[in-house]
Amino acid sequence: MNTVDQSFAALADPTRRAIVARLAQGEATVQELARPFSISQPAISRHLKVLEDAGLIETRIQGAARPRRLKADAVEELWDWLSQFRALWEAKFQKLDAVLDGLANDTDQPPSDTAERSPS
Amino acid sequence: MNTTTNPSPVQVVVDGDTDVVVTRDFTHPPARVWRALTEPALITQWLGAMKRCEMDPRPGGTFHYEWEEFFFSGPVLAVDAPHHMTHVEHFNGDITSGPTIITNLVARGTGTHMTQIMRYANHEARAAAIAAGFTDGQDDVYDKLEALQISE
Repeated sequence: MNTVDQSFAALADPTRRAIVARLAQGEATVQELARPFSISQPAISRHLKVLEDAGLIETRIQGAARPRRLKADAVEELWDWLSQFRALWEAKFQKLDAVLDGLANDTDQPPSDTAERSPS
Repeated sequence: MNTTTNPSPVQVVVDGDTDVVVTRDFTHPPARVWRALTEPALITQWLGAMKRCEMDPRPGGTFHYEWEEFFFSGPVLAVDAPHHMTHVEHFNGDITSGPTIITNLVARGTGTHMTQIMRYANHEARAAAIAAGFTDGQDDVYDKLEALQISE
């Protein structure tokens, strides 16, 4: 898997998305991260390992403490990628808007029975 | 006629374990949006030129959209024109995988509110599809990442 694939696989889990959302507010220890969730610290640690392997977070060593924080570069890379794909969707639908505008112009003409007449 | 000004751009979010939900408003009524979504001559105008473009929007019908390098095809399961269609989208003929697409068009004012649910077999299948670039949805984390990018 490349980095983006691995990032998305990591973020497919709702608990891990919540962890990322929490870390978006600032670094936190395993204990702090476990608190809002009804799961054990070892379970949180496993989630953190997945996120760390995906390159989305990193561990800072601060004495005995091991706070986790988001890796800005990886997050921004993912963000760029997401924006790009949302823009592709929107571009596609803007083309659909144009098709609809074209249809409206057609159907603003008098309706179907006139279509059977040959132009004189 | 005035150029369309769209009131709300596309939203793409993940929902539950298996769904990706695309919502978009159009300034035209459902009957017109339905035509653009189901008539091949119109589909190719917004999805791009294809080698083959077929859509039979009836229960038991099928669709086939083919470009040079790849194609999507599958069965149409349910239709209630011009408001609803459910179909299955297989990639390159792999009938063992691919999402079920549930499209709903609801009149909203003089326009249409479209909701398209892409429902995958399971969590892993959805993640794989997202990673492959079929969607960009990661709802709340998406917003958080946006906030983060500004703050960092």
